[in-house]
Amino acid sequence: MAENGEERLINAVLQIAKALGRTDTMTEDIIKQFSDFDGRLSLDKLAVRRDPGGGGGGGGGGGGEDSVPFERTLRALDRQISHFMGLNRLIWSDSDDADKFLEAVDDLLDTIRDLDAHPAANKQLLASADELLQRCVLRLEDEFRSLIERPDAAAPPPPRGPRAYDSEESEGEEEEEEADEGEGQIPIARPVTDYDIVIDALPPGSVSDLHEIAARMVAAGFGRDCSEAYVLARRGFVEESMARLGLRPRTAEEVQAAPWAALEDEISRWIRAFQMVFRILIPSERRLCDRVFDGLAPFGDLAFAGACRAPALQLLSFADGVAAASRAPDRLFRVVDMYEVVRDLLPGLDPLFADHYSAALRAEVATVCKALGSSIRGIFMELENLIRRDPARAAVPGGGLHPITPFVSDSLFTGGFNTATHARAMDKPADASRGAGAGPAAPVDPDRPTSSLAVHIAWIMDVLERNLEAKSKIYPDPSLSCVFLLNNGRYIIQKVKDSELEVLLGDEWMRRMMARVRRWGGEYQRATWGKVVAVLHLGSAGATAATAKSMKERLRIFNNYFEEICREQSGWVAADEQVRAELRVSVLEMVLPPYRSFVGRLKGMPDAGRDKYVKYTPDDVEARINRLFEGTVKK
Amino acid sequence: MPATDYQGSSVPFASLGRSILSIRRDQVHAMDGHHDSAQEHELEAFQRRVADLFHDLAGGGGGGGDELMSLAWLRKLLDTFLVCQEEFRVILFNHRGAASRAPLDRMIAEFFDRGVKALDVCNAVRDGIEQVRQWQKHLEIVLRALAPAPAPALGEGQLRRAKKALTDLAILMLDEKDAASALSHRNRSFGRSGRDAHRSSPSASAGAGAGHFRSLSWSVSRSWSAARQLQAIGTNLAAPRSHEIVATGGLAVSVYTMSSVLLFVMWALVAAIPCQDRGLQTHFSIPRSFVWAPPILSLHERILEESKRKDRKNSTGLLREIHQIEKWAHQLSDLTDNLQLPMPDEKEMEVRQGVDELALVCHAMKEGLEPLERQVREVFHRIVRSRTEGLDSMSHNAE
Repeated sequence: MAENGEERLINAVLQIAKALGRTDTMTEDIIKQFSDFDGRLSLDKLAVRRDPGGGGGGGGGGGGEDSVPFERTLRALDRQISHFMGLNRLIWSDSDDADKFLEAVDDLLDTIRDLDAHPAANKQLLASADELLQRCVLRLEDEFRSLIERPDAAAPPPPRGPRAYDSEESEGEEEEEEADEGEGQIPIARPVTDYDIVIDALPPGSVSDLHEIAARMVAAGFGRDCSEAYVLARRGFVEESMARLGLRPRTAEEVQAAPWAALEDEISRWIRAFQMVFRILIPSERRLCDRVFDGLAPFGDLAFAGACRAPALQLLSFADGVAAASRAPDRLFRVVDMYEVVRDLLPGLDPLFADHYSAALRAEVATVCKALGSSIRGIFMELENLIRRDPARAAVPGGGLHPITPFVSDSLFTGGFNTATHARAMDKPADASRGAGAGPAAPVDPDRPTSSLAVHIAWIMDVLERNLEAKSKIYPDPSLSCVFLLNNGRYIIQKVKDSELEVLLGDEWMRRMMARVRRWGGEYQRATWGKVVAVLHLGSAGATAATAKSMKERLRIFNNYFEEICREQSGWVAADEQVRAELRVSVLEMVLPPYRSFVGRLKGMPDAGRDKYVKYTPDDVEARINRLFEGTVKK
Repeated sequence: MPATDYQGSSVPFASLGRSILSIRRDQVHAMDGHHDSAQEHELEAFQRRVADLFHDLAGGGGGGGDELMSLAWLRKLLDTFLVCQEEFRVILFNHRGAASRAPLDRMIAEFFDRGVKALDVCNAVRDGIEQVRQWQKHLEIVLRALAPAPAPALGEGQLRRAKKALTDLAILMLDEKDAASALSHRNRSFGRSGRDAHRSSPSASAGAGAGHFRSLSWSVSRSWSAARQLQAIGTNLAAPRSHEIVATGGLAVSVYTMSSVLLFVMWALVAAIPCQDRGLQTHFSIPRSFVWAPPILSLHERILEESKRKDRKNSTGLLREIHQIEKWAHQLSDLTDNLQLPMPDEKEMEVRQGVDELALVCHAMKEGLEPLERQVREVFHRIVRSRTEGLDSMSHNAE
């Protein structure tokens, strides 16, 4: 075979050189001659071949004699390595070069190991080997950095077209799923809904090149240098990626002072950025680190922490600012959103930040989560204060919804309010955050669900209800007070039913609330219609005694009452269609049957003037009752 | 430790006897015969406590190993702050009724505003600590390069590695604005300077390099200035007038005390740690009659003096460990720059000494930076908590 022939040739050359050369230098020179003469006889091949032979031939003489093979090896390696060092381009721009260079480094590392192990190793020799190694490592570090910064500079030359891992070209590349579908396809940023993706920031080839280099650097005792080089080269990318997510730095002071609308927008951006960073960017960085430093612990952890820690902390500081800012109830949702995002993330962070170097980051995320949770509790407290301090000033016309009712119930029960979230946010004992102790002494019924969230919300509802009852007293007409309470109560019930919180507040709460609303409805009926029905009521005993005259008189009174009520109450307000319908039905049920029988009786009387007195037929009454509560709710 | 200038003020401190509060209290007594003596006692104790703690920090406690502006000292400073803050919180809580009434409500609101401003100092300082941590990592590389084992004597390769690490370190420690220009001179590799043929554009590569070395401060914007922030914290901070003290039953003094402590602690942090636009011009005009004023003023003076020292003027932070790194790394650079191998024994000795010193600093940073950062975070969260609690209790009592 050709290879075999080449081997024989090389051996022959070595023999000749040895035979001719009386000294080492002469032999070297002869070898050089050969190598210049024929490409197959390259210096490194000859050198490698010579070593084992030389070592064996030496046969364990004195120290000086012993070091001769080492010296030769080193000289050969030096030549080889110097050749690469002199390259005016990246060694890794040619994969053959890269392989050979790595091979040389490995040989050098082996040689140094042997030298170290050798009892009589020449110190001078060791020092020069060490020197050579340091030069190699510096070059390796440079190559390492370049490979991270410009993966395309490495072999093989990149195919045309944008590439997912090119940090220079692809805007917000973490928004793109890896363009596996085909090279050259232009990646399009799609709105991300699934954060369960990992980005390969560098092409697999570069990653394995980097790993090869890292392995040599660590073997040479330059692990720290390597991870620092990684950090310096990589952090720029991480920061750049974060900067592209559109967040601008805000100081805590700015967050405090920012108008809520602006902050709300920033929070939405932050939430997206946070997801991107903690669910895609950082896991991707972790994977990259783990691959580059595979089997080279702890340098991978060190590198990962160095590249990601500072940017991640800075991202978190915005949440700190928000948690420390105002606790106006309208902020509840956004803070809850932030809280949810952070909380949901926490368990997933454990594998990412398991090592000692990132533990502090994990702790920081947990702290931010806690701060947001306590901010939510604070908002509840603020809400309570707000209700308490909302004075009963002007009555809402027509007994409609008081603005406080939708304000509070919408804050609590609308939107993406997710029960589990709140249960957790409120898990902290309520009293701990209550400082002044002026808060509720948590009225927990044994039957009620005792989660602090339920207690909190039930308490807020109690406060609201008491506040509304106070407000209802403004109406001079007790009927209208009842309608007011009924409307507001029904609104609350509806909101609770529409939300997931019904479960949390419990059946008992709902039953009681419904009972209250029924009671208000009943009170309204009694207050408004009691006297009306009483007029129609002739009593079974005195039925026959009723004279036409007295019945006409009663009818006249009824008509007066009825007209007055219709005039007044047609403008009253019902919270919604259902309430309106229910109110009318209940009035109809109460009024229509007695009126029908009354009119029937009247008509049955011989001396009755028939229709003359009956101003309203039962159908008329029904129609007019059905026009009550036509007022519209003004929110 | 050199605390001579402190002695001058500590003597009057010892003999001061009557604090400003007790002097003013006489007036209070004169005005309304009955006054809650438990409250007096509490407020007086707070003054004492603050004074004792800062007296201790100023060197009066004689604790070893925590020289002024060392990591250990800074940690003690933050502990002090936390203790003061906690006691102040209790005072506010106990007097929440008074705290929601004029004129105390305004004073407390101002104190909370100062607190919000301090939060940003905390963030900036955290970034600064991160930066110092970066230096520490490079320092470790320097130390590794110059470590005695396994080669018995320093070899060419070790030296080269050490020099590179020292250069990297020096560039990292430069101010941001100087870093970019320094980079163009940085000998990043050997034999290739000037012929970076494989790089698409030399200027782009220098830019990328500058990015590596720039200080990271994302949590505050580029235009943010620590000096201005300190000034903002100190704005309108004046000792309460006697009628204010009377009107607040002495609580105005506590608020003023805590505000001063806050300002001083933030100022000292900015002085010690690299921050965006550091500046120590903040004026401290605390009447010496407050028991805690002498130690704080003495500390202020000594730190200011330190900042004016020739070798520290251009320092990125007055943290003692930073100074040590600057000093010894510089010395090592000089030593290794013009070194012929094999090294003469006395040079070898000098290098070893530098390495030993740096190893000590490195150890101190390894032990101290992480806890310091945690403390800074703790200070941040405590300020937030005290503020929200304070606002809550005030609003509750305002009903």
